[in-house]
Amino acid sequence: MSDILRTIDLSKRFRKNVALDRMNMDVPEGSVYGLVGPNGAGKTTTIKLLMNLCEPTAGRAEVFGRDSRRLAPRDLTQIGYVSENQEMPEWMTVEYLMAYLKPFYPSWDDARATELLRQFDLPRTRKLRHLSHGMRRKAALASSLAYRPRLIVLDEPFTGLDALVRDELIEGVLGNADGATILISSHDLAEIESFASHIGYLDRGRLHFSEEMSSLVERFREIEITVAAPSPLPAPWPAAWVNAEQSAAVVRFVDTQFQQDRTMAEIRRLFGDVREIAVNPMPLRAIFVTLAKAGRKAA
Amino acid sequence: MRQALHIFKKDIRHLWIEIAVTLLVVAAFTLTGARQALWLADPAVNTSMATTLVTSHGVAYRGATNPAVNTSMATTLVKFLLPLVWCILIARLVHAEALPGDRQFWTTRPYAWKSLLAAKALFVAAFVNLPLLAAHIAILLAYGFHPLSELPGLLWSQVLITAVLVLPIAALSALTTGFVQLLITGAVLWLALAAWNIVAPFYLVDPGWRALEWVRTYYDIAVLVLATLAILVWQYARRKTAAARRLAVAAVVLVALGNALLPWTAAFALQSRLSRQPIDPASLRIDFDSARQWAARALIERGDRVWIEIPIKIAGIPAGMTARYDGVIMAIEASDGSTWPPDQQPWSHVIGRDQVLSLQATVNGGFYRKVKDQPVKFRGAMYLTLYGNQRVTDVPFSTPPMAVPGEGLCTASPGAGRKSYYLICNSVFLDPQGPPSYSPFPADLAFDPVNSHRTYIASNYYPFPAFTAATVQTSEPLAHLRRDFDIGGLRLSDFEVPLKPIP
Repeated sequence: MSDILRTIDLSKRFRKNVALDRMNMDVPEGSVYGLVGPNGAGKTTTIKLLMNLCEPTAGRAEVFGRDSRRLAPRDLTQIGYVSENQEMPEWMTVEYLMAYLKPFYPSWDDARATELLRQFDLPRTRKLRHLSHGMRRKAALASSLAYRPRLIVLDEPFTGLDALVRDELIEGVLGNADGATILISSHDLAEIESFASHIGYLDRGRLHFSEEMSSLVERFREIEITVAAPSPLPAPWPAAWVNAEQSAAVVRFVDTQFQQDRTMAEIRRLFGDVREIAVNPMPLRAIFVTLAKAGRKAA
Repeated sequence: MRQALHIFKKDIRHLWIEIAVTLLVVAAFTLTGARQALWLADPAVNTSMATTLVTSHGVAYRGATNPAVNTSMATTLVKFLLPLVWCILIARLVHAEALPGDRQFWTTRPYAWKSLLAAKALFVAAFVNLPLLAAHIAILLAYGFHPLSELPGLLWSQVLITAVLVLPIAALSALTTGFVQLLITGAVLWLALAAWNIVAPFYLVDPGWRALEWVRTYYDIAVLVLATLAILVWQYARRKTAAARRLAVAAVVLVALGNALLPWTAAFALQSRLSRQPIDPASLRIDFDSARQWAARALIERGDRVWIEIPIKIAGIPAGMTARYDGVIMAIEASDGSTWPPDQQPWSHVIGRDQVLSLQATVNGGFYRKVKDQPVKFRGAMYLTLYGNQRVTDVPFSTPPMAVPGEGLCTASPGAGRKSYYLICNSVFLDPQGPPSYSPFPADLAFDPVNSHRTYIASNYYPFPAFTAATVQTSEPLAHLRRDFDIGGLRLSDFEVPLKPIP
């Protein structure tokens, strides 16, 4: 799989604030890449740089192998972009929005457009300004999927939406993606977890990891050890074990590089006589919280 | 082009209310303009207005000229509304695809910037320029002018309105995200320029540009056009708002500084190049006017100053021409090497007066006492314009409007009881009765395509003889030239007028 999106030492500074620090990210073609991180981590900045909505301070971003600063209208005909911050032409009706956009896209599919309006239950004759928040987001999405884009970029698309609308949007995106590459940023992991094939974790402008979802879930484990007699945490403590807590004879931590044999051997080396070891897989949300806490402690 | 037309159609659909209001105001402007033509053509109106003028002052006027303008409420309101609705329309048009910021829907859609810019330009041409052109044509027709014969003025007027109103508003809109921001930016720029205009006269000497004022105006227009075009192209192509805003500030500074620092002499040199008839400056001579020696004075003033006035005459003016003074620079040099002024002479110290010319200067008492008994030289250069092609046209009373070269269409009519006579001349896009201007362009900056002036004579007591026609004399500026002069051998003490003691 070739990379459809790529960032190389991508950095963005707003005066003294570093929004993005030497970010290296690859999004393979056909993947559903979830860019996650807490608020203010730099997700929206990354997407704006990829979409040429702002210019990098250093490094570069590539879309379809082309420097994002050189994105041409021809490239944009293959990109569908929806953002929570997007200002839509609110005077347009849903129907006129679709009709207006159609000539911009050679690959516009009328049947697909009609189907999307039906699927999202969008009132054709109503102006965007008279639609609810969720409906407006659906209209934006419908207008971005009707031309079968090769790349779909969604910046916090589900923020502020109720669960039902969120599910409808996810269904809409996945059902109409046709193998397109999807980059989706979110701080809400529950929705990403269900469909992302790749994940990147961004915090304070730094990309902490970027990998396939399956390998990520494999390498994070919550470990609870019951030792024979309470004693202080051994030193030096492995860097990959984060958020360690101790309560009498019970020690809890998260192993961010879990490998069954190696982790067990390390536990025995550090704790000696261990009564019980419980290894629990972690949902994405728990991984995210762990990393956020570890990041704050380190800071 | 297809995308540009597509965006153009969208903008019409989006801004139809603004378009309708604009067209309504342009229609009102056309109507008031046409009504003004009818109003001027009505002899009863002229008579009643002139009578009011005479009786309110209690004395008779002879050959007075004033602008004939109907200043009704509707006309004033329309002239205020016209630029306002254009500004709103243009701002709304540009803001429909706002350029600063990164949240706009259209920035991630496959818009070609050239198509977007073309769509906006097409819209402005269709709903600002074209309606104004139609309004101008309708008003010209109402006055009896043939629009085709006024084509250069019609087109140049469009260029000026575009340069001074359309482009700056479009450029400011391209630098802002909404109407409120635009208003604030516009107000700040206006205040900055107004403050500069108040402050600048305290620091800079203005020689008084008079008929050359058009050079300064066109300098401003050139800077405006270049800057606004650069801002628009730059913003549409690259959307680098910060850089474009810096360019806008630089343009404002260039206009302010240019107005203050543009050398008058350079403007005159340009004017000389535009002379319609080449005349060798060496054929003119500027000498002391010994026939008016009585007018020479060295008037001792209070405050240790001396007012010096030296009558001069210009000889060698070609037959059929008259000379008009535009400016003069001068230094007074004594035989011992003393010079006044000691440094760069400011214009305000040396002034001439139309055909009867005198060199005038105020010098300080120290300099005067030092040189007054020595022979002194008045050395300098005079900037002159020679008028020629004098034409005399008779406009018979109570006949349809007739063409008078250089004046436009004129009608003459007698008032009641031969106590008044009127001559009304309507000129297209230029104002021959206004302040003199050597502008070579076929239109001045104004919304109104026609300038009307009424010349009249009126008596409150005795009827005039039965005149049959009004006679109009016109001449044109043909040559602009600088003539150096060197008037020597004068002794200032010969012209001394001592200070009179205060009684």
